[in-house]
Amino acid sequence: MTTRRQSRRALGVRDEGAARLSSPTAGQPEGNGPLWGWAVKTVVAPLRDFPPGERRLLNVGGRSIGVFRVGDQFFAIRNRCPHQGGPLCLGHILGAAVADEPGAARIAAEPLRIACPWHGWEYDLQSGQSFIGAAMPGVRSYAVGLEPGGTLAGELQAGRARLIPGPYKAETFPVSVEDDYVVVEV
Amino acid sequence: MIDADVHCAPASYRALYPYLSEYWRHYIEEAGVRLTAVEHAYPRGAPTSASPAAREQRGGPVPASYEALREAVLEPRSQRAAPLGAGRPSTPRHVVLNCLTGFETHRNPYFTAAVASALNDWLREEFLARDERLRASLVVSPISTDDAVAEIERVGDDRRFVQVLLPARADLPWGNKNNHRIFAAAREHRLQVAVHAWGRAGKAPTPSGFTTTYLEDYIANQPIAQAQVLSLVAEGVFDRFPELRVVLVECGFAWLPPLLWRFDKDWKGVWREVPWLKRLPSEYVIEHLRFTTAPAHLPDDADAIAQLLEMLPAGKLLTYASDYPHDHGDGLGALLEQLGEEDRKAVLEGNAAALYGLG
Amino acid sequence: MTTVRTEELRAPAQGRSVTLVDCDVHAQPTDQMLAEYLSARARRLLERYGRRTPRITTWYPRARNAGMRVDAWPDKPGHIWGSDPELLRAQLLDEFGVDYAILEVLSGQDCYDEADFAAEWNRAVNDWQRERWLDFDERLLGSIAVAHEYPDLAVAEIERRAGDPRFVAVLMPSSAAEPLGARKYWPIYEAAAACGRPVAFHTGGYVDHRGAGYPSFYLEYHVGNGIVMQSQLAGMVASGMFEAIPGLRVVLTECGVAWAAALRWSLDRAWELMRDDLPKLRRRPSEYIREHVWFTTQPIEEPEDPRQLVAALSQAQLEDRLLFASDYPHWDFDSPTQALPRAMSPQLRQAILCENALALYGLPRERPGELEERG
Repeated sequence: MTTRRQSRRALGVRDEGAARLSSPTAGQPEGNGPLWGWAVKTVVAPLRDFPPGERRLLNVGGRSIGVFRVGDQFFAIRNRCPHQGGPLCLGHILGAAVADEPGAARIAAEPLRIACPWHGWEYDLQSGQSFIGAAMPGVRSYAVGLEPGGTLAGELQAGRARLIPGPYKAETFPVSVEDDYVVVEV
Repeated sequence: MIDADVHCAPASYRALYPYLSEYWRHYIEEAGVRLTAVEHAYPRGAPTSASPAAREQRGGPVPASYEALREAVLEPRSQRAAPLGAGRPSTPRHVVLNCLTGFETHRNPYFTAAVASALNDWLREEFLARDERLRASLVVSPISTDDAVAEIERVGDDRRFVQVLLPARADLPWGNKNNHRIFAAAREHRLQVAVHAWGRAGKAPTPSGFTTTYLEDYIANQPIAQAQVLSLVAEGVFDRFPELRVVLVECGFAWLPPLLWRFDKDWKGVWREVPWLKRLPSEYVIEHLRFTTAPAHLPDDADAIAQLLEMLPAGKLLTYASDYPHDHGDGLGALLEQLGEEDRKAVLEGNAAALYGLG
Repeated sequence: MTTVRTEELRAPAQGRSVTLVDCDVHAQPTDQMLAEYLSARARRLLERYGRRTPRITTWYPRARNAGMRVDAWPDKPGHIWGSDPELLRAQLLDEFGVDYAILEVLSGQDCYDEADFAAEWNRAVNDWQRERWLDFDERLLGSIAVAHEYPDLAVAEIERRAGDPRFVAVLMPSSAAEPLGARKYWPIYEAAAACGRPVAFHTGGYVDHRGAGYPSFYLEYHVGNGIVMQSQLAGMVASGMFEAIPGLRVVLTECGVAWAAALRWSLDRAWELMRDDLPKLRRRPSEYIREHVWFTTQPIEEPEDPRQLVAALSQAQLEDRLLFASDYPHWDFDSPTQALPRAMSPQLRQAILCENALALYGLPRERPGELEERG
């Protein structure tokens, strides 16, 4: 039996907000899009309190959302896997695994995906688009609009261009840093 | 019509003597090694081992000579060899011979390799040289990759061999990387690969232990074939060898759709273990695997067969085989009835023609 | 054919209607938790020499999160996935409104240890189950773990637990030292039938060679769980055990469901041709399967067109034989609200989610409206 801890603390999860997140998808309203018809900015944390590698779960208007810092980038994604409703934001963050031939596997640096801790469906952290395997033909390919950020977005786009998406898309939210605070727009 | 699985076998080791060294002739004589006609797989008295018509043949149900084969399978009057029903072709324009004698050789790898070579030489002289309609599977040692590759290199350029013959029951699943050189050699010589039911499992063909009835052993080919399907795909055999086609012979096919549903679903969760797979496992299967039509264990209900045909692209995957002299019942007729004309032609002839370059 | 149970679960005078029965849930003790229930001798043996059982699962590391839902790890020292009743209650029972959850504690399933140790180990599993779980929440029901390689000891354990109606099944693995239909195991099945418990064959146990050889990847091994059960079911039918033990009901657990139709067709055709090879069978193989065999749903197959799954189930006459299972806390957990495809009719859905289980296990249709915590 493994002794490796997989606890929320070990994942760097910090809970914010009133909701108890042992069952994070409970009571979440269905559907995507702003709850109130317009986007509301919510302060997540002071920048200095949110080091790289950490993630925070917060409850905004009844929706559980995970905010992630990867290096100097921030991502926010709905804590609900479109597949069967699992707590997506408790999953591992991974680059894609690629192999040119059997046995020659390696991890690509980009793009980053989060893997649902239930069945393992993986979602691009930036766009929320699901990807399965190295490529899955038969689904229409996905055009990415340029994000502010220049070079990183270009790499992301190039990485994504090799991949063809899966059938699910998780909801993502813009995250910015304003006056040294990390802010998410829901 | 092309018949993709007809059995033949030497009546005894004596028939192979012209192709064996003096050492091996002595070995056979002194050790009292006798061919048992793969009896553990096809007990003489079992109904499935031979149809009533086949039992009437002189010399026994499994043709041991060209004359016996011609009489049993190739001549127009041998309706029983291709019981496809009225209005359907009863004489094949091509036949693929499978000699399973190599499946019963034992663990002495040198003997096994020698017998494999002898069988191929016998097949060529006794059958392939005497009738242009005949093709054969190339017999190789199932217990040594080196020897299998060597034999493919020895005779693989003979275009009358269309595929390399492997038994479904083996020490390691055929997709295992230790076996990949066999596929490389096959492709170099433009051969396909056939995985045929039976062979010798270790202790038993089950996950737990000995079977005590023949029926269990007979049925066991199907779970074993399923495991081979998983292995061939998961190990990236078709990524390495994109031209390769593997034919599952005498393994059945009705079990395929649920297996693919499960295979695809599980792969979506654990694909990182096998990141060389670029597509859904089921797509690999549909492109690279083929299945002979025997045994066709199907329901009586026509609606159920119709449902099965919606799940299983039969016109693409199946290739007709009489499996002479074996007798698994008459399931195929009902299935052929329900196929459209194009699919039926593909099953009876087109798929095999494409597989084996038979025009 | 149902066998009347000597003691029924007490149905409350008033309460809520049962709508959801989860027939495969894993409570899992740590070795320390079980050690509390072991004799000093067994504890010493365990400390010095460990369990002797070869575990095939160590050959195939479960590619995702050690095989578990990441969020099912309790934040309590000394606990692992499935060891904390409170977390299970919150994440499964309360979250999804599960009315009954049948526990399958797999710790003794691959027990090829020495006889007395194996018997003690399984007894400890059942004691732990009863005290930490069945007493904790009356929605929880248990399966009797047995030292299956020692049928006399297994029968003793079944008889020991038979009087507690909260143990609703006898637990066996899907692979053992001999094929599951072997006569060796029949005393276990007879004892189960005699006290009205189905035998649940749960995926697990050591899987040997398999005729094709050992696969390389967990992917193959995992898909192979369904293939293993096909092989075992064929053997069970061929052995004549259903003919010999008419009251026996079996639940094939965590092995998939959609393969049943093709296997039934094959067995029937083979039997038509070779009936005399199985003289003990008086009926077609598919009839025995129809009469005696149930399936849990998880991991349910997911064809692109879900209607094909419904067709496959119908072809195997499984509509009243399917039992919903979540397989909490494993990674391929099926959500009760999401896993069954919309292509299923409401009647079929209800049958799978509760009706079939109520009928099979003889469970009360009403249970207390308020949650009662005991002890």
